[in-house]
Amino acid sequence: MTQAVIELRNVSKRFGETLAVVDNNLSVNAGEFLSILGPSGCGKTTSLRMMAGFEQPTEGEVYIQGTNVTGVPAYRRPVNMVFQHYALFPHLSVADNVTYGLRQRSPKPPSAELARAADEALGMVRLSGLGRRRTYELSGGQQQRVALARALINRPAVLLLDEPLAALDRKLRAEMQFELQNLQRDVGVTFLLVTHDQEEALSMSDRVCVMREGRIVQIGSPRELYDRPNSRYVADFVGKSNFFAGPSAGTVTSVRPEMIELAPTEKKLPQGLATAVPAKVLNRIFVGDFTQYRLASDRLGEFLVVSPRRNERDVGTFEIGDQVAAGWRGDAAQVLADN
Amino acid sequence: MKKIPDLITAEKFVEELRRYQKGSISRRQFMGATGLGLATAVLAGAVPGLRPRKAHAALSGTVNFTTWPSYFAQENLDKFTADTGVKVNVAVFGSNEEMLAKLQAGSTGWDVFVPTNYAISTYKDLGLIEELDLTRMPNYDPASQEQRFTAEGIIDGKTYAVPKNWGTTGFVVNTKNVTQVPSSWKEFFEATQGPLSGRVMVHDYQLTTIGAALKALGYGFNSVDEKELAEAEKLLIASKPHLFGINSDYKPSLISGDAWASVCWTGDATQLQRDMPEMKYVLAKDGGEIWSDFYAIPKGGQNLDAAYALIDFLLTPAINAIEVKAHGYPSTDSRTNALVPKEMLDNPILYPAAESLSPLEFGAAATLTNPLRAEIMARFKAA
Amino acid sequence: MSTHTRSPLVTGLLLAPAGVFFFFMLILPLLVMLVFSFGERAAAGGYVPAFTFDNYLNLPARGKAFLNTLTLAPLGTLLTAVIAFPMAYFLAVKVPPKWRVVMLVLVMAPFWTSQLMRYYAWIMILGSKGLPAWLAWIGITDVRLLNTPTAVLIGAVYGFLPLMVPPIYVSLEKLDKRLLEASADLGATPWHTFWQITLPLSLPGVATGSMLVFILLMGDYILPQYLGGGKVFFIGNALVDLFLQSRNWPYGAAVSVALVIIMFVTVYFYMRFVLGKTDQRRAALV
Repeated sequence: MTQAVIELRNVSKRFGETLAVVDNNLSVNAGEFLSILGPSGCGKTTSLRMMAGFEQPTEGEVYIQGTNVTGVPAYRRPVNMVFQHYALFPHLSVADNVTYGLRQRSPKPPSAELARAADEALGMVRLSGLGRRRTYELSGGQQQRVALARALINRPAVLLLDEPLAALDRKLRAEMQFELQNLQRDVGVTFLLVTHDQEEALSMSDRVCVMREGRIVQIGSPRELYDRPNSRYVADFVGKSNFFAGPSAGTVTSVRPEMIELAPTEKKLPQGLATAVPAKVLNRIFVGDFTQYRLASDRLGEFLVVSPRRNERDVGTFEIGDQVAAGWRGDAAQVLADN
Repeated sequence: MKKIPDLITAEKFVEELRRYQKGSISRRQFMGATGLGLATAVLAGAVPGLRPRKAHAALSGTVNFTTWPSYFAQENLDKFTADTGVKVNVAVFGSNEEMLAKLQAGSTGWDVFVPTNYAISTYKDLGLIEELDLTRMPNYDPASQEQRFTAEGIIDGKTYAVPKNWGTTGFVVNTKNVTQVPSSWKEFFEATQGPLSGRVMVHDYQLTTIGAALKALGYGFNSVDEKELAEAEKLLIASKPHLFGINSDYKPSLISGDAWASVCWTGDATQLQRDMPEMKYVLAKDGGEIWSDFYAIPKGGQNLDAAYALIDFLLTPAINAIEVKAHGYPSTDSRTNALVPKEMLDNPILYPAAESLSPLEFGAAATLTNPLRAEIMARFKAA
Repeated sequence: MSTHTRSPLVTGLLLAPAGVFFFFMLILPLLVMLVFSFGERAAAGGYVPAFTFDNYLNLPARGKAFLNTLTLAPLGTLLTAVIAFPMAYFLAVKVPPKWRVVMLVLVMAPFWTSQLMRYYAWIMILGSKGLPAWLAWIGITDVRLLNTPTAVLIGAVYGFLPLMVPPIYVSLEKLDKRLLEASADLGATPWHTFWQITLPLSLPGVATGSMLVFILLMGDYILPQYLGGGKVFFIGNALVDLFLQSRNWPYGAAVSVALVIIMFVTVYFYMRFVLGKTDQRRAALV
């Protein structure tokens, strides 16, 4: 088993009457890219801030590389953070921002070495030659990369990223997702990213930790979370799903829209389906590579179906008001706790 | 154990506050600080509507009375207001030069002011003061005045100013702190640069300060001789590091004990001695100043009737006697002297022996406008 | 949408009030002063037209006053800033927001009383029965404070603190606290964070406050007169003397012109230095 670079052990954090984080255990492995995913107010940022040292846990301990760092202030922790709005120093040049961490060391590295390190770090984030600029002269994406370079130049044990892409526009965000992944692979530093965007978490991470109301609900690879969510909450947050009444009280049956088969009639459905119902098309959205149908069935109520373009060859397309048949295989349905 | 000294007592603070309210902190300084002075003066002069209308039947409005620190009895001014309904606005100044500068600049708003003998001819020459109509001051009796004090108020047979009181300029010494009391200006400046270093004050006033230095060097009090003035300047500048301060409002520092000796006028010495018998007033044996102050009316006064009424009121013997009791300067009016308590008439500060008066000189008009004396005073302060 | 261009006439009319104000309140007085400075003193004082450089050649006669002003005004400004900064920092960073306004008002409170009253209070505190008496009690005897440069500096700090604290407070208050976290995160101790982040980023506030205090101190004459007792002499006092005692208007005008030039040059280079340092001007353009 790989060594954990950073760990939360039974950590709770209370702000006055509010419990922000409740008895969490989290272990981040060396070299992995882990995301903490959850809606705002779920305690994900507080967890990150406790790792960085900006907050101290009310209970429990924080370990970095096997050392208990609970109570150790931020400036003595071997981790670095990329802030949501970058928090670049407006009075310093790009290069001075980037070498800020190195200049805090004692003894301070000679200026030639600082210059070399700045060049190298800026090269790494593809900002070569911009060292003398002021940070406010750069675009949002460039500022983001300066923030990355400023943190990574210190070779932190863990790089903490607090919603790093939230301030970027959609196209840039997609680009930066790739870039972050590549960067992480290149430098081999452990990345811990906090986000509310499930797509971001799933696309970049080795593992995703889903949080809800201060608690960790599930940790696993993106595929595990998608395929085997341990609760309705996770299934709903990670991807889309249809929830039907479960076999017993307090349970639901979850079926992913893309796992549902569609046909003009029940007879035309594939063989071996566990469930098959007649339904009516309420709405239909053509997305391009797939079409999304909203169906209504007397027995199951309304549900979503995603039909890939390829299927149209066999079953054709449907219009609003059409009577259709829908069904799924037994392994497509998962019984989950209804919470 | 030693007693912890009081920082400032509440009474002391209130006393200072009173001084401020009474106006012994000059209004010029206050108005100057706020910029109000100039603004009101300019406005009042420029906008006809703002000029008070002349009172025909009865007196009304305000009379602006410009005088010197601690130089009037508040009860008299209150009585004047009660009798006539005219409010008295008091402003105090530190030197005749300041008053002249203000009048030259114009639009002072003053109704009555108090120039010193040697300044009057200049005011008349510059056309800054009114000729006085003595019929409007029935309580003033030229016959009861001592001739030598009234003389400079009358120019070419016309009266431009009437005497308020007279006095001398010597120095005061706190004998509790000072055992070797100087007897001359020479000794005064020697002590300043010697045992009294850091404890002596001189006036912020060219006539008395330069005059004292000239006397210490054996020259005339009123000298405008370039060489003599150069020597006086040298003496003053050499003394400056040893002075406690340069200020015509020197009583507070003497009372607080910060200063132990100062160039001083009669009335201030009288007032100081009331509470502090250790204060000794010395008329320097090598000379000094004898002077008289006058009431005069500047040209362009806004409330001429009230101005005459105020002067007439203050020169009424019974009222004037109250003034004398308050400020401690001897009156020029024999009728008033008859009403002043005997112990005041016997006080050598007010009425020094004739032989100590003999070396004193009246200030000369030339000193007021002499540019060299003005510049030397300014250089001394700037040194 | 088409671009709407204002006619030059309208623009001119809109700017007129400001232009008139500047002309009558700034340009005209300066011109009058300049003209007077080449004139001569009238016999009894005042001004007679002439063209002479004597007044300027005579400036060294007030050299000591210039020197006093140019040492004590910057020193007083510096001391005020040094004392105001921790106060502003405390207010902006340590005091809970709901108390800040109250505390800020308390800082300004001395301004509500008359300036003269405040100086009189200091005369009593610094006089021989005040602080020196206390010092004597603990064995430090014969301390003379009143009418010294020290007294003037104390008065300057006390008097101008209310002008210095608010601008520094504002710049500290709007300082992005995440920058401080970023600094700590990058390994800077709180002390280093203060020097490298907090202080440089609050410099515009310090600069504004310093300018206010410096300009007021340069022209002050009340403070040196009261707490300097006529012994600590500023250019302001020289001007009061020249205009109100010796009535040498032309020479006073020359001294004023010199003072205006000195102030302008000092302020210009100071602002350039500070703005260059913090790059706020360029930041403001972005």
